[in-house]
Amino acid sequence: MDIRSRALQDGRPTLSIRDLTVDFPKRDGAFRAVDGVSLDVWPGEIVGVIGESGSGKTMTALSTLRMLPKRAVVSGSIELGQRRILDLSPADMRKLRGDRLSFIPQDAMRALNPTMRIGRQVGEPLVLHRNLSFKAAVSRAVDLLRAVHVREPERRVEDYPHGFSGGMQQRAMIAMGLALEPELIIADEPTTALDVTVQAQVLKLLKEIRDREATSILFITHDLGVVAELCDWVYVMYRGRIVEQGSVERIFMDPRDDYTKMLLASTPTLFPREAAI
Amino acid sequence: MATAAGFDFRRWRLVLLGGLLVGIVLFAAIFAPWVAPYSPFDLDVAKMLQGPSAAHWLGTDELGRDVLSRAIYAARISMQVALLAVTVGLVGGTLIGMTAAYFGGLVEQALMRAMDLLFSFPAILLAVVLMASLGTSVLNAMIAIGIVFIPGFSRLARASTQAVLRQQYIEAARSIGMSDIRIIFREILPNITAPLMVEAAVAFAYAVLLESALSFLGLGAQPPDPSWGNMLSTGRGFMAQAPWLSIVPGMAMFICVLGFNLLGDGLRDVTDPHMRE
Amino acid sequence: MIRLVLTRLAGFVLTLFAASVVLFVTINVLPGSAAKSALGIHATAQAIQRFEAQHGLDRPLLVQYAEWLGRILQGDFGTSFQNGVAVGPELLKRLPVTLELATFAFIIANLIAIPLGAWAARRHQKGADRSITFLATILGAIPNFWLATLLVLVFTLTLRWLPPGGFTPFTANPMMNLKQMIMPALSLGVVSSALLIRIMRASMLEVLSTDYVRTAEAKGASSRTIVFRHSMRNAFIPYLNVAAVEFGFLFGSVVVIEDIFLLPGVGSFVLVGIINRDYPVLLAGALAITLFVLTLNLVVDLIASLLDPRQVKARNA
Repeated sequence: MDIRSRALQDGRPTLSIRDLTVDFPKRDGAFRAVDGVSLDVWPGEIVGVIGESGSGKTMTALSTLRMLPKRAVVSGSIELGQRRILDLSPADMRKLRGDRLSFIPQDAMRALNPTMRIGRQVGEPLVLHRNLSFKAAVSRAVDLLRAVHVREPERRVEDYPHGFSGGMQQRAMIAMGLALEPELIIADEPTTALDVTVQAQVLKLLKEIRDREATSILFITHDLGVVAELCDWVYVMYRGRIVEQGSVERIFMDPRDDYTKMLLASTPTLFPREAAI
Repeated sequence: MATAAGFDFRRWRLVLLGGLLVGIVLFAAIFAPWVAPYSPFDLDVAKMLQGPSAAHWLGTDELGRDVLSRAIYAARISMQVALLAVTVGLVGGTLIGMTAAYFGGLVEQALMRAMDLLFSFPAILLAVVLMASLGTSVLNAMIAIGIVFIPGFSRLARASTQAVLRQQYIEAARSIGMSDIRIIFREILPNITAPLMVEAAVAFAYAVLLESALSFLGLGAQPPDPSWGNMLSTGRGFMAQAPWLSIVPGMAMFICVLGFNLLGDGLRDVTDPHMRE
Repeated sequence: MIRLVLTRLAGFVLTLFAASVVLFVTINVLPGSAAKSALGIHATAQAIQRFEAQHGLDRPLLVQYAEWLGRILQGDFGTSFQNGVAVGPELLKRLPVTLELATFAFIIANLIAIPLGAWAARRHQKGADRSITFLATILGAIPNFWLATLLVLVFTLTLRWLPPGGFTPFTANPMMNLKQMIMPALSLGVVSSALLIRIMRASMLEVLSTDYVRTAEAKGASSRTIVFRHSMRNAFIPYLNVAAVEFGFLFGSVVVIEDIFLLPGVGSFVLVGIINRDYPVLLAGALAITLFVLTLNLVVDLIASLLDPRQVKARNA
């Protein structure tokens, strides 16, 4: 039951991280935020990385985007498709971001520019990577917003972010991430700031996208319920290391690591409906 | 780790550089009679408008007086005015700011509105109008400049006091029945001195500038008493024949103002916890 | 938006009114010397009394103020104690000079401060940032009237490129006007830019650390695109507000600068008023400069809120 089914269908993972280590130099030695992490995301798979804040999960995600603070020291290897991320020049890395690899952050309201219309922001990846004019990009943004179920997208592209509800802002961020049909979407707690019903809608949307576009998703969260709802495969992180990995069903039914057990024990909604099937 | 004694030179370098410049000016001001090679008042018509020489390092002025000696004695007036003006501003502003923050409500509204109003006047204009009312003299220059500083200090004192008031120990002091006056001077004042001292250093620089401007306009120190402002003012009349008469007093002001600004900036960095890595 | 403008206008009028009270009281609180100054030191007590009665200086301050305000609202600024010339028309003649000087100086200050401040923020804690911060410290320590003196020394006395002072209306001779204006505007603008550089740098740093800048980076935007497309407008909003206030604070220096360059503007009018204890002149001039600064603040405030879609919408609703 702990077999990674998608791994069998295709020969190569979308994302492959090996022995990733991230250090932050301090006056006395260094702080190791990520300590020898290895993980894979296969095509069309939603992979969860779960851990409490400070466990290194966000640092792992930012390493993949090469957007860590400048003083961080990174070692190991990260491959996206055939590309060795850590060896790319800054210019090549920039071409990858927003194109083959996109990022959905935690707090959509703060992640949207308050003085720029939604349409321009959602369509901007097309301007940056496909040399479209903003006019053409905004008309593409209408389609993108429609795809994430924003009502009246023709009118909404003219809005500023403060005119959007929290859920709609997150949908706009997802639409922006989808603009160029990336190989991998990294989502860093995208539903934490939302209330429960909106959260469920956004999760449903992410699943729908995976099913429709076969995009791989790396999903960072501290919420076991969300993992159960959404993910195919889970990595559990604690203090910079991966302490356990497995299919969602296996992790929930038969946790082996003490930290995972503790996490499960401290979550009230223990047995989500999908895991039980 | 070369700084074994725990003294971080890089962090303190602005303070040291500013302190050095300020130290030079203060030294000249305090020990003027011993430092200055000549009396600032001794006329020598035979030596009118002589350029820099071994006998007169910075030349002589239109009445044959030694420019270096006059510049040194001018430091005295500058420092006296600045010291008193900053004291007036600091004491007045702190009292008003603390009163406003401590009592709140209508008192605060009235006091701070009045401060906003004073703040809406351009600094030199306010000083100049006050001088017109008080009459031209060095003492009045000190008072006028001090009044200009009151709104700035009062805003800072109010903000700092509000921060202190949110602390637990103020509640404790009130609960044991300490009087308002006692709380203000025993509990609040000691805790808001650091930001006020930083502001005082910057105000010192500005006081020197304002005093010079007033003297330049003929509203401050009156000839033959030397002040950098009136030296520059008379020197301008001989700019073609004796440019050093315009350069020397300006340079002195520059060094003095730069010193206090560096000191203020440096102290701000050192006392502000946000600036530390 | 209309409500926003009205609120700001109401605040503007109130502040101006309060400022007029402060100026009037400050200037008139110490009686006596105006007459002596106008009539000469040897004036008899009788002559002084007559002078004060004639100009209404012997009545209660409140009455004097009310009358003065009433006349000003009708456009009558009184006549000079010194030479009996009507103050209003004289002030009107001088306003364009100071307006031109202020505009030039503000433009110069911003032309220096905005690019340097933004650049320093973009290169935070790198060489360029340190150099620009150091430059701002140096510029901030130069007294503007000394800079004015040095400019004259270099460009007038040594290079003989520019006239030492004076004023020619732009309409009469544009080239001459600019030649005479450039040094006064530089003296005010360059020194003011020191403070504005710091403000721009701080505003930009704040914006560059926001989540939406990180979003832009995650989209693959270059550092240049991030600064120009995603940050400039946002950094401008706080910058403009603070910059206008600080520039206004420094703008009092027109009194000195106009004196140095023999510009017949409002600043030198104020100075003449002080030296002669010519109260109507002093009051009118000081009020005009205050009005100037308040207007600059108002205009910039409105521009800044136009840049911010949240404010435009919120005030419309």
